Order: sequence, then C-alpha cells, then structure tokens
Amino acid sequence: MENTLLVGLSRQMTLERQMDVVANNVANINTNGFKADRSLFEEYLRSPAHEDNFMRADRRVSFVHDRATFHDFAAGPSEQTKNPLDVAIDGNAFLVVQTAAGERYTRDGGLQINNQGQLVTASGDPVLGTSGPIVFQPTDKAINIAPDGNITVLEGTGTTDSVRGKLRLVNFADPQKLVKEGGNLYSAGQGIAAQPDTTSRLRAGFVEKSNVNSVHEMSRMIEITRTYTQISALLQQQQDLHRTAVEKLADVPA
Amino acid sequence: MRALYTAATGMAAQELNVQVISNNIANMRTTGYKKQRAAFQDLIYDHVRRVGAQASDQGTIVPVGVDIGGGVKTVGTPRLMGQGTLSPTGNDLDVAIRGEGFFKIQVPDGTFAYTRDGSFMMDAQGRVVTAQGNPVQPTITIPQNSSQITISPQGQVTVVLPGSTTPTLVGQIGLTRFINKAGLNPIGDNLFTDTPASGTPQDGVANTDGFGDLQQANLEQANVEVVTEISDLIAAQRAYEMNAKVVSAADQMLQSTSNMFR
Repeated sequence: MENTLLVGLSRQMTLERQMDVVANNVANINTNGFKADRSLFEEYLRSPAHEDNFMRADRRVSFVHDRATFHDFAAGPSEQTKNPLDVAIDGNAFLVVQTAAGERYTRDGGLQINNQGQLVTASGDPVLGTSGPIVFQPTDKAINIAPDGNITVLEGTGTTDSVRGKLRLVNFADPQKLVKEGGNLYSAGQGIAAQPDTTSRLRAGFVEKSNVNSVHEMSRMIEITRTYTQISALLQQQQDLHRTAVEKLADVPA
Repeated sequence: MRALYTAATGMAAQELNVQVISNNIANMRTTGYKKQRAAFQDLIYDHVRRVGAQASDQGTIVPVGVDIGGGVKTVGTPRLMGQGTLSPTGNDLDVAIRGEGFFKIQVPDGTFAYTRDGSFMMDAQGRVVTAQGNPVQPTITIPQNSSQITISPQGQVTVVLPGSTTPTLVGQIGLTRFINKAGLNPIGDNLFTDTPASGTPQDGVANTDGFGDLQQANLEQANVEVVTEISDLIAAQRAYEMNAKVVSAADQMLQSTSNMFR
C-alpha cells in the first residue's frame, strides 16, 4: 500500500549517492590527473506482495537503484608549469607507480625526485621506467623527458646526453575496470593486464589538470537537489492524502 | 549525508591553495625566492559495489562498480626550483647563481643553512655576510682598504690591495647542492636547511661538475610569475565557491527530508 513512499525513497537514496559522486568531483576540481565519475541508474521491478490468489497477478512496481559509477576518461586540460619533471600524457596511457601494495597506475604527472635520486610521485612512490625505477645521479642537470618517455640528462660538465631510463606507459583494454584507490592511483583487478602503450605522447613541463567540468557538475547538482525536493513534496502530498482519507472516511455523521 | 563532508574537504584544500598562492605573491620581489604550489590527491573510495564482482548466479560479472569518493587531500606543497631571472645591481658583492647550487651560510647556532639569495655585504671585520649578518661558508675576509672586488664565475674572490696593482685571491665562495632540492626545509630569511628528504649536502665548486656559475653584480629574482599566480588564485577561489555550493545543496536536501511528514 505504501508503494509511493518506497519508490520515492528508493529514488531519494540514489540521488543522495549521486550527490556524493558530484561532491567528490567538485572537491577534486584542482587535483592533477583526476577523472570525474558519473552515476548510472537502472530500474528494477519488484512485486509488492507475494500473493498469487488474485484473479490477476499483482502489478510489479518499478524501483530505481544506482547500478554503477563509471569513470569519465576524457582528457583534462594541460597546464604549463615549466617544471622539467612534470609530464602530461597525450593519449590514453597511464604512468606506472610502484607502491607497497603492488603496481598502481596514475595520470598525475606532477613528479618529484626523492633523497635517493629516484623519480617519485608527490606521495613518494617510485615511478617505474621500462626497466625499474628511474634514478638520477647527484651531478645530473638539464633533465629532459622526451615525448616517448626517454629521460636524458647532462652529467656534470658533460655536453652530451646521458640516458637515465624510459618512462613506462601502459593502457588497458577496458579502463572502466580500473578501480580508484585514492591518492590519484588506480589499481587493476584480477586478470586485467596492463599493456604497453606505444601511441601516447608525453609533454614535459606540463601537468594534466582535473577533467571535472564545473558547469556540468553545478547543473547536475541543481538537478539533483530539485529532484530530491520534488520527491519530498510528492511524498508529503501522498501523506496528506492518506491523512485526509482517514479523517473523511472515519467521520461518522451524527 | 556524505556530500557535506566531501565538499568540506574541498573547501579546506582550496583554502590551503589560496594560502600557498598568496605567499608566492607576497614573495614576488624576494631575492632568490622559489615558488611553491599545492599538490592534491583524491581520498580513498568506498567501493559500494566492486567492479568484477559476481552479479548473478549465472556468473554475470559487474562491468563497472559503484565507487563513492571521499573528497580531496593536500599531499604536499612542493617548491619549484626553476631559475629566476637575473637582474644587474651594480653592487660588487651581489652574486647570483646561474644553474644548480646554493650558497652555504653559517647561522648563529653554528649549523649551516643554504640560500639562493646572494645579496652579500661586509661586516665590521670585513667578512662576507648575508643581509642578516650570517657569514658565507667558507669564511671570506676582505682586507681593509682593498678595492675592486671581483668574483669569478667559479667563485674566486680577488681584490686589489692598497699599494698594489695586481689582484690577490682572498677566498672562494663554495656552492652546495642536493639531489632533491625541493625537499629542503624553508626556515624563513631566504634560508633552507637540509632534511632526510633533500639528501645530504654535496659541497663543490661553481662552474664544475654540474654546478651553476656565479654572476657578480647580479641578483636572482623570485621565480614567481604573477600572471600564473593570479589565474591560479581565481581558479582556487572558484573551486572554493563551488564546494560551498555543494555544501548548501546537500543541506537543502537534508532540510527537505527533515521537513517531510511534519
């Protein structure tokens, strides 16, 4: 009998979760390499009562739930930083990061050098080259990251390039299967193999900004709040209707 | 409602971003200042439904999961150690480093600090000191009444002594470098100290082994680019506003819930 209430609440719950997704996108509007998430909804049908003795079967009631969030892998804008260690990826590739939990993948190209001379992410995890971590010597200068990922330096007073490694770029058959882990990192699930990427190009001295589109997020947010309040009003009306019905029907004339 | 807290992390992050930017702008005329920028990362995700989980008894696999993120955190404020422009001052004791390296300075507690600010002076004993009076290491004393102080690109300090016509070598300005100079600890007064992150200091001679050369009568300007800072400031301010809008939208939703069935 209270189907309106339940259906309405199922929608409100999904809206609340969609709002959480929008909030996370907006919070990460200045996060390098961040990819926005989107919510997907689906209808699911449920019989309101398990009673088969009626002449006609009960009509099934349609609820809604959020089926998934998917990552919007559209490229973010590149910002020039003039920092030779910053790289923006032109294409679908990811950088490979060595973490305590295993290999992780990132689009955040704001790189640093640690006290051992290793090339690391902002959180200090080594970024991997095609043959392990990339290590610089104390006398290296004029670090240059080529579009194909080759890293060269001038050693001491030398005038010819010395190679320090080549950044490993990988991609995935279905990047939607990547799981966001926080810390700008993605992990690949079981049985999902990173494939070497040969088409993407690196741009040194740039970072890829977040691909969150503020106008989209704001309009989505307005839509969510409006829908949510509309459902609240709808449920309120339904409740009033019930109350009036009970009062009217119970009103025995003297 | 989670969105409230998520947006709050966004507001806090942008507030810090504005602080970093305003410090860069405040130091845009500070000799040898190196700008900072805030680096952000997303927080951990709540995997409501994990991708790859089994969706039915028939073995259907969930193609995409439901992941709800918790917001943003500041992972660091790395310093960009890029070269600042050199501006000539005409002052003999002003020295700018063109390339790698820091001047080594002895601070009053006897330890060493490092700086790119080469606006040196002479103290009462003729020692070459920083504007705060801290001596440059190794100590260089300029004899009284000497003239024509010359600092070579390698850091050799020569003067012409009274009654002489040929220059005399009186000292050598050394340079120190770090494998991760972005990991140095700023202590104010344009000084840095070494940290476990910066690696151990490596002393050396300017213009050799990858060290930069010295430019006498020049000072290195801050590497702050005002246009970049202002556009970053606008972006940070807008991002803050948008997070505030999310807070009020989430609040509106909660309000409509609490007003139901009153």
